Amino acid sequence: MGSAFASKFAKSVFITVCGLLILMYVGSRFFTHIDLALYGYMVGTFVFICGFFYRFIAWGERPPTKLIIKKGIKLLFRKSSPKTTTEHLVTYRFIWKRGWYRWAQHILIGWGCILSAFVTFPLVFGWMYFTMEDNGYYTVVLFGINLMKIDAEGILAFLFFNALNITAFMVIAGVSMALYRRIGNMQARAEQTFVYDLLPLYMLLFISITGLMLTVSNIVLGGWGHPVITLIHQWSVILTLIYLPFGKLAHIPFRPLSVFARNYREHYGEKEMKPCKVCGTPFVSAEQSTDVIEVLKQNDINFKMEEGFHLAELCLPCRRKYRMSKFSGVPTHLIKAKEANQNAKG
Amino acid sequence: MKRHLYIEMDNCIGCRSCLAACTQCGGHDQRNRNYVYDVNPLVNRQTIPLMCLHCVNPACARSCPAQAIQVTPEGAVLSALVEKCIGCQNCTIACPYGIPKFDEEQNLMYKCDLCYDRTKDGIPPMCASVCPTNTLQWVTEDELAAKKAQHQLGKWTASRELFDPLEGETNVKVSLPGILQGSQKLF
Repeated sequence: MGSAFASKFAKSVFITVCGLLILMYVGSRFFTHIDLALYGYMVGTFVFICGFFYRFIAWGERPPTKLIIKKGIKLLFRKSSPKTTTEHLVTYRFIWKRGWYRWAQHILIGWGCILSAFVTFPLVFGWMYFTMEDNGYYTVVLFGINLMKIDAEGILAFLFFNALNITAFMVIAGVSMALYRRIGNMQARAEQTFVYDLLPLYMLLFISITGLMLTVSNIVLGGWGHPVITLIHQWSVILTLIYLPFGKLAHIPFRPLSVFARNYREHYGEKEMKPCKVCGTPFVSAEQSTDVIEVLKQNDINFKMEEGFHLAELCLPCRRKYRMSKFSGVPTHLIKAKEANQNAKG
Repeated sequence: MKRHLYIEMDNCIGCRSCLAACTQCGGHDQRNRNYVYDVNPLVNRQTIPLMCLHCVNPACARSCPAQAIQVTPEGAVLSALVEKCIGCQNCTIACPYGIPKFDEEQNLMYKCDLCYDRTKDGIPPMCASVCPTNTLQWVTEDELAAKKAQHQLGKWTASRELFDPLEGETNVKVSLPGILQGSQKLF
């Protein structure tokens, strides 16, 4: 069975596509409720899956990445996991600490896109659709199950039908904030490139605007131009989806790794801390110190000193003072003196 | 033209202007990313500034699971990309000089980025711009070569070469203190 697939990549893609097809089969009441107007998205998703696995398997082969994924999965069910996950993936608390502006733009773009995906993909794969048995009442069908009956003129129906319009406005607002920041912030202006930083924003903007144009076409123009705009919108979504694992947007599927990292630090920190080889202060978990030494070794980097310690076994101030000793010959790291101020505040 | 940050360690008087200037760089958010250390605190007042030396093969970037630390074409090792940094702090453990700082609240590493908004246009980094004693200099390759030649005239070598003071090649060049070793520099 191990040799049934040419590579890990082939196996992952095969299993995922099969899983998706099975879910489609079950969810769409045995393929009876596929919305063929959306089939472009379906093909786009399959291509996306190939790109996604290609990118992330290649990335997961890097020694430090491999290590943190392996240990992160083992530690997934810690008591603090739900809280960490909520803070990192739902409320973006750490981004709030980086600034309210950045946080607001993330909430708008992030949740705009996530909610859009929650609406779009169930529709594409036939997992959600609407039927009307009684006049004036829609039945929401989720995974083949009649979920609820809603008044076709009611507030819930309004929210359902306008979900993508609402998220489009969220994304447009967020993207505008991001673009505005990129005009004024000097560091952003220095480091950003068009392809990496601006293109994804323009793509999201394009998707949102063409999506809203569909609504405008329906409401104001009596459907004029709808077929053409539909195709333009569909192509822009598919292109963005295929591009997603390769550019800046890849940080979205990356993010769960920060939960892994937090769990890794908390778990091994509680287990055993590493005392600094010079001053004895515990500064990191013993596990992480060993892991970093191992990762560096795999990269042909070895910081083993003639004194017998590896530099990853010294706390940060001692490591800096040890460098002073290398510069001057005076064993600064061994001198027991209070560290001078390091913040220019006098 | 490629320029290097160059540290003439002898010259440092410990004024900490470089720390203050660092806080004012674009994107540094009022926090400095460099250090000034007393060499022999109970004996004399010699100080040496320490900042990221921008390794050619940076251990921080090699140990980063998220590929958040990017190296520019000019050789500057940038601070963690905010969208990628996952807060594992591998870089702080891997760095042989103990340079990266970490903000627990923001779950983000930050380190000297050689003031990339300035240096990519050939403007000296903040620390070198303000250094009153020319400890930190922003020099061209030619100037660097001239300094090296000057430091190695006859028996007068400014930099002790008893052992390699750095771990691998760096883009920031250093000139070790000579006074401390009882020899004098020829300027």
